[in-house]
Amino acid sequence: MAITILPPVVEDARPYEPDSDDSMSMDSEEDVEMTGISRPHKRPRLGNSNIGAGIVTPGEVVTDDPQWMRGHGTYTNPLSTSIIATVAGTVQKTNKLLSVHPLRARYTPEIGDLVVGRIVEVQSRRWKVDVAAPLLAQLPLSAINLPGGILRRRTSADELQIRTFFSEGDLVVAEVQSVHQDGSASLHTRSLKYGKLRNGVFLAVTGTGGSAASSSSVKGGVGAGNSASGSALAAPGGSGTGGVVRSRRQVWTVPTANGGGEVNIILGVNGYIFISKNPEGADAASSATENVSITRMEEMVSSSIYSSQNDDIPPQTRREIARLTQCIRVLVQNGVRVDEETVMGAYNASLQVDLEIGDDEDEEDEWRQEGREYLEGAKAQDILELVKQQL
Amino acid sequence: MADRRRINGPPGGTRPPVFASLQESSTDIANRAQRQRQPTELRKIFLKAGLIPTASGSSYLEFEPSASLAAARSNPKSLIPPSSALKLACTVHGPKPLPRSAAFSPNLVLTTHVKYAPFAARKRKGHIRDASERDLGVHLETALRGAIIAERWPKSGLDITLTIIEAEDDRWWGDAPDSHDASWGMMNVLAGCITAASAAIADAHIDCLDLVSGGVAALVSDDSSQSASSAPRLMLDIDPAEHRSILSACVVAYMPARDEITELWLKGDSSRAALDRNDGRTGHEALIDGAVDAARGANTVLAEAVRESIARSFA
Amino acid sequence: MSSQRQASSASQVPHLSPAELSYLYTSLSLPKNPIRPDGRSPTQFRPLSAETTILPGTNGSARIGFADGTQAIVGVKAEVEKTVLAADTLDSRSLAQHGDALNREGEEGSAAVSGQGEWVQMSIEIPGFRDDDALPVFLSEMMRESLVGSVAGGDVDGAKEMAGGLKGRLVINKRWHWRLYIDVLLLSQPLAYPLPLLSLTTHLALLSTKLPKLKSTGEEDPFFDDDWAAAEYLYPRSNTSDPSLSAAPSYPVRPPVTLLVIAVGENVIFDPNREEIAVADAVLAISVTRSSDSETLKLLSIRSIDPPSRLTQPGIPNSENVNMIGATAAPGEESGGQEEVEGVWRPRRGGVKRGVIARMVKTVLGKGGVGEEVLEGLEGVEVQ
Repeated sequence: MAITILPPVVEDARPYEPDSDDSMSMDSEEDVEMTGISRPHKRPRLGNSNIGAGIVTPGEVVTDDPQWMRGHGTYTNPLSTSIIATVAGTVQKTNKLLSVHPLRARYTPEIGDLVVGRIVEVQSRRWKVDVAAPLLAQLPLSAINLPGGILRRRTSADELQIRTFFSEGDLVVAEVQSVHQDGSASLHTRSLKYGKLRNGVFLAVTGTGGSAASSSSVKGGVGAGNSASGSALAAPGGSGTGGVVRSRRQVWTVPTANGGGEVNIILGVNGYIFISKNPEGADAASSATENVSITRMEEMVSSSIYSSQNDDIPPQTRREIARLTQCIRVLVQNGVRVDEETVMGAYNASLQVDLEIGDDEDEEDEWRQEGREYLEGAKAQDILELVKQQL
Repeated sequence: MADRRRINGPPGGTRPPVFASLQESSTDIANRAQRQRQPTELRKIFLKAGLIPTASGSSYLEFEPSASLAAARSNPKSLIPPSSALKLACTVHGPKPLPRSAAFSPNLVLTTHVKYAPFAARKRKGHIRDASERDLGVHLETALRGAIIAERWPKSGLDITLTIIEAEDDRWWGDAPDSHDASWGMMNVLAGCITAASAAIADAHIDCLDLVSGGVAALVSDDSSQSASSAPRLMLDIDPAEHRSILSACVVAYMPARDEITELWLKGDSSRAALDRNDGRTGHEALIDGAVDAARGANTVLAEAVRESIARSFA
Repeated sequence: MSSQRQASSASQVPHLSPAELSYLYTSLSLPKNPIRPDGRSPTQFRPLSAETTILPGTNGSARIGFADGTQAIVGVKAEVEKTVLAADTLDSRSLAQHGDALNREGEEGSAAVSGQGEWVQMSIEIPGFRDDDALPVFLSEMMRESLVGSVAGGDVDGAKEMAGGLKGRLVINKRWHWRLYIDVLLLSQPLAYPLPLLSLTTHLALLSTKLPKLKSTGEEDPFFDDDWAAAEYLYPRSNTSDPSLSAAPSYPVRPPVTLLVIAVGENVIFDPNREEIAVADAVLAISVTRSSDSETLKLLSIRSIDPPSRLTQPGIPNSENVNMIGATAAPGEESGGQEEVEGVWRPRRGGVKRGVIARMVKTVLGKGGVGEEVLEGLEGVEVQ
């Protein structure tokens, strides 16, 4: 069947039920069960005790207590001491600093983030890169490895042929070098891990939750925030809390099944993902994952970091790359965070689901087999179940 | 879209008077234009490139008036001409640098503008392009972009403007608007636009894969004949005023050297075409082939016109 | 959004790097078995959810949503309007009758009145586009063309009301007609070329469209039954008066469906997403419909759409890349750069071979082809 048309699904519209261990219970004396009749406009907080991770909405008074200082996501009225939330999210306190952490925000760059970005504009000495942040990041010409075998200063010749390094539309993997006052990032690719991307597919994930968590304890954005409150997996059809989270490894290699060979996955912290064939040659692979010492770098730069020519990629690898892409899509559409663990779980689950279906439908005609690689729909639920079991 | 910036005349109000004597004599049938050409015979095309000195490339195209029109002109029986013949002019400006605000483009950016002169059709057209003119512009752009080697001209733009001085009718003027309603004349106009624009682009010395020309074919059923089994017949280069009922028509932009179609627009029911019994093609395939044949015919004129304009510049 | 609107073309050019384009193209053009980025088979559509009659203020409406969140809503409204003889026509017969009508009111004319295409108005609203931009204009012309052009086969039982196609159905009597406004609203910026979504939604909305039952007869000024339950469907259904059989109403005539088909290499691919369409060699919009008098589908129109691949950025082969010193001795020399190098993206040039077009149309029209399956799928949608 070429087309599947489903009846509309009623979104999960059950009233909000706080979990038993939910921190909302702290103000239980007048907790309103979100009946939609009235929102407590002013919710008296217990003085200095328990300003936990309750959910506040914009305009809601977080606290009246003058001992707190206001942080991100709040403002104060000059006439009063109360701190009022400006975004919907969870309250966070760092010593005496109160901030509200939005449940879902766009990516805000932080120094050291590994990001995948797309060049959108070429200027005379720098590139403007889309990294899914509110502002375009910039990649100065001085922050890339120039070809030529040696580390050298940029010349005017380099400036003239700036498009031969990166041009509009090119994908780069880079690191955030610094963040400016206005929140825009400056990137660099001065490592062999970084540079132009090829041999694979790009995937932009929605609901990226890399919000600005200034305290190190909540690094990991929304996914981590969720797991802190006890449920790593949001309900299917949830509010899109899935997305790439900051984790230990953003780049890893998958030994794929079905003769697909090795496939690299780069999860940009900004929600941009690139899945590609692992380049031939084990030494290239190993050196790409390790840090190459600065002295050896000059030998390596001459390789194809600015190439836009794809290697020969066998169909099996392409198929597995497509499978991995869909696994991530399934995770994101169902509000599951994306990191190495969940991606690998989903990948293995998809292999397993395929195996089961393959057993069932051995006798099917050829055309029924078509499209069996499509993972969304019914298969997505199976995969999700399996992922949940593994976590 | 209504033109709010100008004071327009009454919409569609300009029509020559019809005298009662004409009504009574019911010369309806007699006045009706009839196709005198063979089904595969094309109208003659007048095409000249390089006429407008201020443009980097230009061309002027005219279709031969149909036999009935020529007869009516020499010996007018009625104030209303039985049909019209296409006349259009094309100018090409560029390649020129893109405006500063425009994004970088590794290719030549093509902009096409098709505009009917207000007096081009029987019904007056406004000064602002309406939906059908924009639609034509998109079709033309598709046709030309396949032929131009755009990466030879990075960061530059090319403006192509077509002015239609006299348009083809969609139907015979005496027929009610419902008899065959679709705008068949527009397809002829598009074919003419493609051919003319191709000549103008060649005149502007822009790299092209091949000269692309337009051709029209249609399935026509002239039910004037009494035989009930009149299956629609394939005709090339139709003049819609000469036919009672056009079932479907197709216009292509075709590059003969590569045997490729860069633009295809087919509409109408082509399933009942009368083909040879041993002809394995379906109706729409026959229609496309017919349009390609018409485009081939136009291409000979086009190549000659381009050659002529080059020779003139040598002389 | 300037990147999306680059050039006035009807198709948008997404920003993709040459390496991505090349990867996609080779994956999609693998002989026999293309690998689509989302694993679909070449003829498989994305699953969608559909419902009809969602807007009480309209004569008919429908909503279709993709899993990725793109949704389209179509509302159909009908208004009664006085028929004016178009100023540029002068059918002498009708003129004579017109004069007569002044004297003898309400004389039954023998000539059947057929409708006019301009009675169907279509407008498409796409966020991020002005309503006179190329894309909405092109799309609405494309869909209106097949809608107005579809004429029923004729003498089949039940199809009589549709004898003149949709146009004929809109005629009330000689002096009055319905005017149909079809308003299409896309709820978000399109992630792909929105044609299939819009076309399928319009199809469902028209199927659910009802017109009030006419109570007046002949050439009277029309007045209607105010009971909405008695209203008649715009596209009449076969009289399945037996309620047990009415599970799947059958229609003698159905509105057309426009499918978006691309060709990549040797493969023909349906319902392409944004990335797939960016590497297509050819893009066609093919409108089909089915009438009960023939089992096979009927082709209504074909339009080629400018493939965005013509506007993409070319890749640079390693042999010509000035940054790859050591690979070749003499870089930078414009050594042609025309020939295809494996793994390097070249923008598509030229047109389509006739054979490819024939194959694309055949995949849609053929028995058990995609067109049939799509129409079957749409029949499965419950239309109240």
